[in-house]
Amino acid sequence: MSDVKTTFQSIACGGTGGDLTAMDSTDGKITRIRPINYLDTYTKEELEPSIWKIKVGNEVFTPGYKSAPNYFALAYKNRVYSKNRVQHPLKRVDWEPGGDPAKINAANRGKSKFVRISWDEALDIMESEIRRIVEKYGPYSVLTIGEDGHRESKNLHAGGGMHSTLMSKLGGYTREVRTPDSVEGWYWGAKHFWGSGCNKGLGMPAPPQTGYNPWHVLRDISENSELIAFAAGDWELTQNYASQMWSRLLLFWEKVGKEFVIIDPFCNYTAVCHDTMKWIPILPNTDSALDFAVMYVWITEGLYDKDYVDSHSVGFDKVKAYVLGEDEEGIAKTPAWASERCGIPEWTIKAYARKRANMVTASVHFSSGAIKGPYSHEPGRTHAYLLGMQGLGKPGVQQAFMNASLIGKETIARSTSSPFSSINQCRMFYPSEQKIPRTLIAEALKKGQVDWWGSPAIVYVETSEQFQVNSYPTTPETYKAALGTISPEMARAQNKSLEELQAALDHKLNNMPEFNKIHMLWSEKPCNMNCWDGGFNYQDAICTDEVEFFVTNHQWLENDSLFCDLVLPVTTCVEDNDSMGGSMVVSLRHDSLTPPGCNRVGESKSDFEIACELGERFGLRDQIDMGMTDDEWIQFGFSQSRLGEEITWEEYQKRGFYFPKQDPNQEDLPPGMRGFYDDPKNWPLDTPSGKLEFWSDALAENFPDDLERQPMAKWVVGGSKKEGWSHDETLWGDRCKDYPLLLVANPAKWRIHVQGDDIKWFREIETCKVRGADGYLYEPIWINPADAKVRNIKPGDIVKLYNDRGTILVGARISERVIPGAVVVHKGSRVDPIAPHLDRGGAANLISPNNQVSKHCKGFAVSGYLVEAAKVGKPEMDKWKKEYPEAFARDYDPDIGINYSSWVIE
Amino acid sequence: MKAFLIDMSTCVGCHDCQIGCKDEHCGQAWMPYAEAQPETGQFWIELKQFERGAVPHVRVAYQPTMCNHCEEAPCLKAAKDGAVSRRDDGLVIIDPIKSKGQRKIMDACPYKVIYWNDELDIPQKCTGCAHLLDGDHPINVPRCVDNCHLNVITFGEEADLDLAGTEVLHPEFGTKPRVFYRGLPKKFIAATVFDPDTKEVVIGAKVTAQGEAGTFATTTDGWGDFWLRDLPDADWTVTIEADGKKKTIKVSTKEEDKGLGDVALV
Repeated sequence: MSDVKTTFQSIACGGTGGDLTAMDSTDGKITRIRPINYLDTYTKEELEPSIWKIKVGNEVFTPGYKSAPNYFALAYKNRVYSKNRVQHPLKRVDWEPGGDPAKINAANRGKSKFVRISWDEALDIMESEIRRIVEKYGPYSVLTIGEDGHRESKNLHAGGGMHSTLMSKLGGYTREVRTPDSVEGWYWGAKHFWGSGCNKGLGMPAPPQTGYNPWHVLRDISENSELIAFAAGDWELTQNYASQMWSRLLLFWEKVGKEFVIIDPFCNYTAVCHDTMKWIPILPNTDSALDFAVMYVWITEGLYDKDYVDSHSVGFDKVKAYVLGEDEEGIAKTPAWASERCGIPEWTIKAYARKRANMVTASVHFSSGAIKGPYSHEPGRTHAYLLGMQGLGKPGVQQAFMNASLIGKETIARSTSSPFSSINQCRMFYPSEQKIPRTLIAEALKKGQVDWWGSPAIVYVETSEQFQVNSYPTTPETYKAALGTISPEMARAQNKSLEELQAALDHKLNNMPEFNKIHMLWSEKPCNMNCWDGGFNYQDAICTDEVEFFVTNHQWLENDSLFCDLVLPVTTCVEDNDSMGGSMVVSLRHDSLTPPGCNRVGESKSDFEIACELGERFGLRDQIDMGMTDDEWIQFGFSQSRLGEEITWEEYQKRGFYFPKQDPNQEDLPPGMRGFYDDPKNWPLDTPSGKLEFWSDALAENFPDDLERQPMAKWVVGGSKKEGWSHDETLWGDRCKDYPLLLVANPAKWRIHVQGDDIKWFREIETCKVRGADGYLYEPIWINPADAKVRNIKPGDIVKLYNDRGTILVGARISERVIPGAVVVHKGSRVDPIAPHLDRGGAANLISPNNQVSKHCKGFAVSGYLVEAAKVGKPEMDKWKKEYPEAFARDYDPDIGINYSSWVIE
Repeated sequence: MKAFLIDMSTCVGCHDCQIGCKDEHCGQAWMPYAEAQPETGQFWIELKQFERGAVPHVRVAYQPTMCNHCEEAPCLKAAKDGAVSRRDDGLVIIDPIKSKGQRKIMDACPYKVIYWNDELDIPQKCTGCAHLLDGDHPINVPRCVDNCHLNVITFGEEADLDLAGTEVLHPEFGTKPRVFYRGLPKKFIAATVFDPDTKEVVIGAKVTAQGEAGTFATTTDGWGDFWLRDLPDADWTVTIEADGKKKTIKVSTKEEDKGLGDVALV
């Protein structure tokens, strides 16, 4: 077939690329997307220096010569040609530019539909609204949303910060800070135990001495661990998001005799398909109770590494007293005590404790479970304590997580996750003098003022940052704090004198910009209501006159875009001329040329191109594209990288992708936390003491009255708002009388966060959706037969899942895979609003808590909270249909769900 | 003669096979081998899943299921005008033109792996991606095989495949399938054994299942768990013995696998 054109594409639903696919196209249309065989491009001899190996006994594990793209990448034709693609610029039919409350019809967001407009008109609106708002309120009244990795894999053309880049040229912007999603418990809890951690801030362990990089963790686990404990970590789901090679590693671990335990309310996608897995069902967000009982067994039976605890930690006595009931509380955290709370039989708790102590145990954790719940700093810390008590860093005693997954180390590697070349022009993770954490946008809009602690950005912030107060709008105090102070190091780095730096700083301090409230929202990642917390509350906030203009750049018409005024259509990653590579959780890291694999869909443009065209309107295009074409950018990226040390530009262009060579001296780097284990004096942590801090003096000093996050982890139940508690989301408070089930809202098998809910080849898989009697494909609610029976819920029933924050509709999937007392609705199903606080799409985060992790920790709490489930009968459905006929009249295609034609008036 | 070998023991349920098939055939025709498959609703290969057991002893068996390219293919016998044929390599192909209107081709299949395309009025099923095997394409193996990253599905000359100990689906249909399985699920009985006095799991207990179908034995592991696997469908007397204590339970696996939960040894 001579007319077939094949390109390489790096497709993953995150910003760091995936295993390469070959995309065959015919006449500009995608024919197939398939794995590639590296030997079609390189010889074995050529590849040999780039291939890492793990040896365990006589068994050897390598990445092999064939890529293992994630199943999302293999189904990406559905995404590119989705009936939900935004084809043209769209304007909400009853919104007019100008900010006049009578003409913006803010309350109709999420209700009124869209009409197609031309790019010229769309750019006119963008230009005039930005000019109007900047003139009236100043540039800081533009909130740029989307500093995020939860998107497609693109490099030059990436979104999630191009709006910030443009606005930075126009005088400033308010930064929406991506709060530490998926790592909440580590970030707010474990950082105070073992330091800032990976990427200098994520909160999972990494030594400061390697630039906060956890090298060789999986190699150490492969060679030395005997038991691998997955604490709410779904390997077959989360670890595989950029490459499915990780399934092969699991099979290798089985082959060399590892044992596995999975602690999860849900018999997850890893537990169900491996006979080697021990599933211990646990009630949601009770993990710290289990962990304290494990500590109790270890302490009373002498099963922990006392010497290590003595030499490598501080404050253990306080934890010990708490666990044994020898403190003022006086309650021993026995297995019987824990069993009542976590739902695990006492005998299994003891068996787990002894197994973990008697076998070399590694812990594997992903963005799931208690780490994302209310008070997640408690399980985050207790999980960390368990590793600490068994000698964190000892051979095989490590924590594995996504950023600690790199096997091998390339000579030209910059870190365990960064790409080899980067031409990303997004202004991501850049500080701005005015900012709002993503979790507080709704409150900021509703109240006009919010305070919080820390930035709190997900990466590149040390633990002590959590003690700084911030506020919106920016005040002189927070402005001063944001600008920071000068230092001799800065002077040296910038080649300036201290006096010059001080003068520049003084000039800024004396000329504080006007910081006004936000009135324009511009999102390059329009899924806050579904990816983040308190979704219904967020919907309320963006439907007010405060928001004069809300624009989204997006590929698909979904979620926040349904609530905006203007939608700008964006290309998918396979439509751009880019060089993506793959740098995190891929089988073999690469740099690659990813030219357009097919014709563009509709009138879409990349976020980079949109920023360039708007830049043109403001006479500053050359400050964004720097006068370079895409091809020139790609070559520039290569020339700026270290790739040229190993391959010429010409050769690289000819081959299309390249695997950098393995560093022959990589064994010199200690794996994971080994440096600290072997030599804590020379490999100190970045905690105040340099050691593991079971008790944190820093927390005690900064937050002496915080009962929710105390200086050491405790079993925290919470309580009423009146008494000052952030949450009452357990089975031991008052709200559980009305809402007796605990919801698990972990990532879905058939979506990555909110991406891919429209993939029709997934939607017909029985675990993906549940077809209701009305023909609608509802998001499944996994419910145990016992809980279903008392509610008279039958398989396939339409079920309302609700609490005092609202109601979502879901479809019953009755299953032994979920512990009684819990229900599972995977997060991220697209919203399909019926009315305020009533949604048919099954987006779980809509009813998640409006309050954050705890008082001083403004991260999200989106799993392990209270709900009730009830069957929806015909009378109730008919009543809704009568009350909200427009919502039920929208076009619906079960293959895709809600789609472009549901919301666009043709 | 070609054959498929499916090893269920390493399948993790990713559905790559099913997705690859759809990517190849949905919305694009490969004439004269196949008309386009409708975008949804047909599964030329389907990853069937069976949830088994009860909390906390639960497993899902993932079973790739496709046309068996039978040697004694009932569809071939039911077809008129030579609308179904067997190639020299053994693949059974429905002619998209000759088969128009022939519902009997679909009805003849005891495995229910032939689908009806209402729009085109033809029966459709797996072609073994014969167009890829024959043609000038970037790959020359079936898409389900190419997509599988764990080599669960292999395809090749029968003589080159290790078929010892494999099974076929429903041999009683007598159609001589050319899709061979390793690890087809049998029944299991599982439980966690504990001592109610000490509130400890019982490790190393002898567990025996006896019945007309035979005797199966195992011991409890470090979790106090036993898994009696690969059991035939039958009635059983399960005996658990440790430290002079003995417990007997009557269990049937005729209908389903049995997860017995936590069992007190008294």
